[in-house]
Amino acid sequence: MTRRTHVRKRYWNEPEMGWYEKAYLPEILKGLAITGGVFLRNMAKWMTGKKGALTTYYPEETRWDYARGNRGKHVLVQRPDGSPQCIACNLCATVCPAKVIEIEAAFDPADAAHPKYPARFEIDYSRCVFCGLCVEACPEDAIRMEKEVPTLPSPDRHVMWLGKEELLAWKPARDAAKPYPGRPAGDKDRP
Amino acid sequence: MPRLTIDGREIEAKAGQTVMQAARDHGIFIPYFCWHPNLSVPGNCRICVVGVAEKDGGEWVEIACNMPAAEGMVVFTASEKVKARRKATMEFITLNHPVDCGICDKAGECTLQDYHFEYNGAASVSRDAKTHATKHFDLSERIVLDNERCIQCTRCVRFTREISMSNGLGMLDRGDHSIVRPSPDGAFAKDAYSDNVIDLCPVGALLAKDFLHKARVWYLKATPSVCPGCERGCGVNLWHRKDEWKLRSPRQAARNEGIDRVTPIENPAVNGPWVCNKARDLPRLFGRVRATGPLFKGAPAPCEAAVLEARALIAEAKRPVAVVSSWASNEELAAFKAAFGSRFALVAKRDHEPQPGEVVQDDLLIRADKNPNAAGVRAVLGECGTEVPKDADLVLVWGEGFDFRAVPAGAKIVFLNAFLAPENGHADVFLPLSIQTERSGHYTNFAGVTSRFERCFALPPGVLHAEELFGSLVGNGRGA
Repeated sequence: MTRRTHVRKRYWNEPEMGWYEKAYLPEILKGLAITGGVFLRNMAKWMTGKKGALTTYYPEETRWDYARGNRGKHVLVQRPDGSPQCIACNLCATVCPAKVIEIEAAFDPADAAHPKYPARFEIDYSRCVFCGLCVEACPEDAIRMEKEVPTLPSPDRHVMWLGKEELLAWKPARDAAKPYPGRPAGDKDRP
Repeated sequence: MPRLTIDGREIEAKAGQTVMQAARDHGIFIPYFCWHPNLSVPGNCRICVVGVAEKDGGEWVEIACNMPAAEGMVVFTASEKVKARRKATMEFITLNHPVDCGICDKAGECTLQDYHFEYNGAASVSRDAKTHATKHFDLSERIVLDNERCIQCTRCVRFTREISMSNGLGMLDRGDHSIVRPSPDGAFAKDAYSDNVIDLCPVGALLAKDFLHKARVWYLKATPSVCPGCERGCGVNLWHRKDEWKLRSPRQAARNEGIDRVTPIENPAVNGPWVCNKARDLPRLFGRVRATGPLFKGAPAPCEAAVLEARALIAEAKRPVAVVSSWASNEELAAFKAAFGSRFALVAKRDHEPQPGEVVQDDLLIRADKNPNAAGVRAVLGECGTEVPKDADLVLVWGEGFDFRAVPAGAKIVFLNAFLAPENGHADVFLPLSIQTERSGHYTNFAGVTSRFERCFALPPGVLHAEELFGSLVGNGRGA
């Protein structure tokens, strides 16, 4: 029995070049002319104050054309009084596949309707995979995701935590998905 | 000995047993809320209904917890009739339940939750508004009561009447206004076993204030341990965070190390299913500020140098005395004996004495000696003295609770202790030790029952295991 040596399968064709390509120099000059033309055109636009290359100057600039359903930075929904709608049930933290949500719950006996609230609500964006399961798991519609992504550039991955204060960005006034009951008529003096 | 058939299995019940007890003895599960193996039978929750075959082929239903097992009885635990009755019972029990599982600490280990998924699983069919009750009632300094979640099983009431004998709880009013309330004389607040009602409660109506909203229960794991609160040595589960649920946020990392709650382990030979409130306060006992580094006459010293210094002091001493801790495990005592043999004159020490206000001794569990392993010290090291001899020139003090005024003048002191204490600096050499949650071992209780405790946490840096330390304290001179 003869031993068969492994023959590597050939995936690529051999280059087919005519005499013009084989001369090397003209094609090189042609390529240089293209890159040089783009470079000079962009530089001219820069010098005249127009935007040149499609480079985004992150983090000062972010893309404007995120899709409407893009899963970006988390927001904590507020009640009309500004407190977070979150009841600290930890379902988002439990479902999170990257285990990046950490909540410290606290007890408020004064608020009979919402006795449990998050004293701390922290998300580690260095590990978040933006899957959106936290939004789906939430029984109170308290966490959502904006289409804009968080801008947390840092050379240290241990500092990419956002706390409750940073995440409480959602204003109930523009919450079309969950309208709160309006202020009763004749109740103008109350803030 | 009546023989009966449950779900087609023929079993033999003991005389006087109910169907529930006979089924449990043979591993057949019948659901229950109000029934408890150690409490009386009120028969008020009706969830344990089982079907019993009639002679004409029909079937009638009756609660298993209060029905004596009879000869020739044929019992069904999951017939169609029983299932329908159980579903109706679940609908009735949850009629006014607030279903606030999201903020309830019992969620995840709640009997009502489990049974709802098992026996009902449907939304409420009631069109009426739920009745409301007190949401937060301070039952005592330790327990908060949520009357809306309560299903009126009366387990807690019967516990205070039959086990702890404080008669501290009772039911007021009738029907859907029925609520649990403490007696006006404050007996429940003084009940040394009051926290057992938290475990007894099948729902989240009775919650420990110490554990309130601290963690969801699925984040925690239980490590079997032994309560060191007295020489009873009750089996306890120490609940702390699972490794995969350790918090990583720098602002919350402190919550990872520490016991979140304590529950009893049922051990008929020692404690039955109960523990006293002192066991529930173990997190505070173990959470005291620790000694983190060796000291040499009060000044911080490197670990190797301190051990060598202690070794030299022991080697040079002519009449050394060891004051042995009765909080030491049997393994540590054996290591002490193996390392030193009869080098030391031995003195047994009570590390902890009863605190003011503490129940010293009672008929149920609590014992007067507040140390877990005094019997282990006697078993491993034999009878020890109680006073430090006046001619001692070196005293090795092991563990806390020793009055340094008992040390003869001029005698050197080597002190081994786990916690930060003023005495640490008075010793010639001080070495920090591990605590019970950082090692595993055995305690022997006053009745001679040996129980094992497991390690919960890693050893903090700079801290030594006594079991390993004693071997390196033997030898002569300061040389390595």
